[in-house]
Amino acid sequence: MTARLQPQRRRLLLATAATAATAASTAWPVRASALACPEVAGTGAINLIGNSFQAIQHIARIAEGCSRPGLKVVFKLTPQARTETEQAFASAGPSPFDAAVVSMGVFSNLYSRRQLQSLTALVDKYRDRYRIEEKMLVRMDGEVMAIACIQNTQNLVYRADLFDKHRLAVPATYAELLHAAAVIKARESSVAFAVAQGFAKGFDSATEFTNLLAGLGGRTFRPGSALPAFNGREGVEAIGLMRQLLPYMTPNALASNADDVVNQFQQGKAAMGVLWASRASRMDDPAASRVVGRMQFAAAPAARPGGPPAAHLWWDGVVLPRNAPRQREATFHVLMEALSEAAVRSGNDLAIWVRSVYVPGRFGTGVALAQRAGAPVWPGEPFFSLAHGEVGKVLPEALTGERSPQAALDAAAAAYTRAATEKGYIGGRA
Amino acid sequence: MKLRSFIGFVSPSVALMLALLALPLAMTVWLSTRNCALELELVTVQQTGPFGAHAVTTQRARVDAAGKAVQRCTSVGAAYYRDVLGLQPAGASGASGASGTPTAAANDDNEFFAALRFTLLYIAGTTPFVLVGGLALALAMNRVTQRLKGLFIAASLLPFIITPVVGALAIKWLFRDNGLVPHLLGHFGIQVFWMAQAWSAQLLVVLYGIWHVLPFAFIVFYAGLQGVPQDALEAATLDGASAWQKLRYVTLPHLAPLVVFVTLIHLMDAYRVFEPVVVLTQGAFTTSVQYLTYHVLLQEDNPYKASAAAVLTIAGIAVLLIPLLRKTWREQR
Repeated sequence: MTARLQPQRRRLLLATAATAATAASTAWPVRASALACPEVAGTGAINLIGNSFQAIQHIARIAEGCSRPGLKVVFKLTPQARTETEQAFASAGPSPFDAAVVSMGVFSNLYSRRQLQSLTALVDKYRDRYRIEEKMLVRMDGEVMAIACIQNTQNLVYRADLFDKHRLAVPATYAELLHAAAVIKARESSVAFAVAQGFAKGFDSATEFTNLLAGLGGRTFRPGSALPAFNGREGVEAIGLMRQLLPYMTPNALASNADDVVNQFQQGKAAMGVLWASRASRMDDPAASRVVGRMQFAAAPAARPGGPPAAHLWWDGVVLPRNAPRQREATFHVLMEALSEAAVRSGNDLAIWVRSVYVPGRFGTGVALAQRAGAPVWPGEPFFSLAHGEVGKVLPEALTGERSPQAALDAAAAAYTRAATEKGYIGGRA
Repeated sequence: MKLRSFIGFVSPSVALMLALLALPLAMTVWLSTRNCALELELVTVQQTGPFGAHAVTTQRARVDAAGKAVQRCTSVGAAYYRDVLGLQPAGASGASGASGTPTAAANDDNEFFAALRFTLLYIAGTTPFVLVGGLALALAMNRVTQRLKGLFIAASLLPFIITPVVGALAIKWLFRDNGLVPHLLGHFGIQVFWMAQAWSAQLLVVLYGIWHVLPFAFIVFYAGLQGVPQDALEAATLDGASAWQKLRYVTLPHLAPLVVFVTLIHLMDAYRVFEPVVVLTQGAFTTSVQYLTYHVLLQEDNPYKASAAAVLTIAGIAVLLIPLLRKTWREQR
């Protein structure tokens, strides 16, 4: 019996030691953070949510570092942040999240539904303490409704070594990009595909379409209304341009999202493409990339000569729900610590930060150039995501030729009209 | 048993089933006949931010005296069912941005029936392989020496233990560009782009389904094989029955109820196929009734219409299970 119990005792001792070690390791950041976030006070929990990409992960780490005995800061990082945030902020009871980091598209929806609380008083009170800059403040008719922290856009990513080798100029228009792609395809055997872009059904392809539509001078909606206009001539042209890119892309393009595109670039399988600037730093990640230092970034090409870059400017920022459960001030302090100048300095290359202390590096080139060249701001209409979703659903059929571009866009416009009517954006059934 | 004792024993289960099954189902049916929308007003707001100042024309919810957004709820009857089934009149369709003329393309290829088509294809493609493969694996495992059984059973169950999303992601990474499978096939001069065409994308989803569910069938059949009466098998051997005859006339009849059970469970699971569709192809070339509900709920942000799609999904499962349920009912009686 003694012999049988001994291994159990050993396991018990090991488990106790492991628990003690874990407790010690988790206790340290708590003590350290007590010094790092001096203004944070309160008890219980502060729950935050945001999308799971590098810059937000950085923000989350700092926010969670503000935990202290009796107060735990939990930051939920999830690709489903948009859905969870919208559901939480719409809840009839208190929101399970005290604050969220949202993109401007989500902000538009939340603002439209009056689900955000004004941050004006808090900003006025702590502006000097946290050196909050005016350009960080998203004001709607003067009221601060969000605090922007990072900027983003789709930029041109290209293999500088291959462009030099074949004496290709950096494409400023899609016509030039198609020419460069044809040269790379004909002369460069080291890359499998000349172009890599996110053409996956849904969000990715719809975003490409939106960029090209705006670049061609088209509109998503009729002016001053929620009625669709994306199924006009420019919409058909945008799909035509997307179809011209397909022969230079992987045949799996219609299932390739931004992650797949990053993978193609990192593995040296693609030469150029339009991709999120927030993904730029991953090209130089030595643990995952075979092309470290060989990628360069520029503004997204224009869809027509003389036009603006076929891309949109985005910001991500923090918002507080109207149904915030508790600890408004403590939540604000945690957020401001996570967006502080020190936080930006320590994560400088992870994003294109809004704060002035951000030092633009090569990864931010595309955003700066796009902004300078007059790229438009991402549509702010609350019904835009409905149109975006319906377009993303039909694009594969239009790109494969299963449906004509006009028929596909008309179907999307019809589906959008129904959905927007049901939601009350277009006067109707509700 | 006295009626009082019977009620005492049964009521906790009945209460739980009512609370967790019947009530949510009734709520879903009720929601599917309603629509709630915010009362909106067109406003032009001066917006300032990182990209400068500009006027935004948008729609904003009206608020009541307490500052709360005003929502209007109405009964829509069966409108959402007609909508999901594509029976809505063409008048609800959009108008071409180019010409301003009404379009008729809205319902020419109804999403629900397209989703139903692939869902049924998935069921038909996976069920026979799950049953036959599971049985074959169970029979093979039954012959493995006792010492290796634990290891083999654990290895065989892995695909079933793994969370569906994680399993689908693993399969996606194996088959996507630069994945292990295309890389290995490339060594033999074979290039297959699995997400490039409908047939290969659909095949991949079906293959995932077989890989994921086969272990469930295997473990059920393997458990069933442990209960096959040995005296009957020995008697068959003495009578000169071949291995096939013993399987056909002794083992399979013994396993028949389990075959019905596995089929029943798999039909219900397969009808709700979702993870491989959303992970492997993101709905390109493949869609399913469950994916459709997800799209309506999250993309259209319409829980009422999604409820109608969910009720139609449940109705579909019920229709599909009628023959099996009738058989089970007869056996139980």
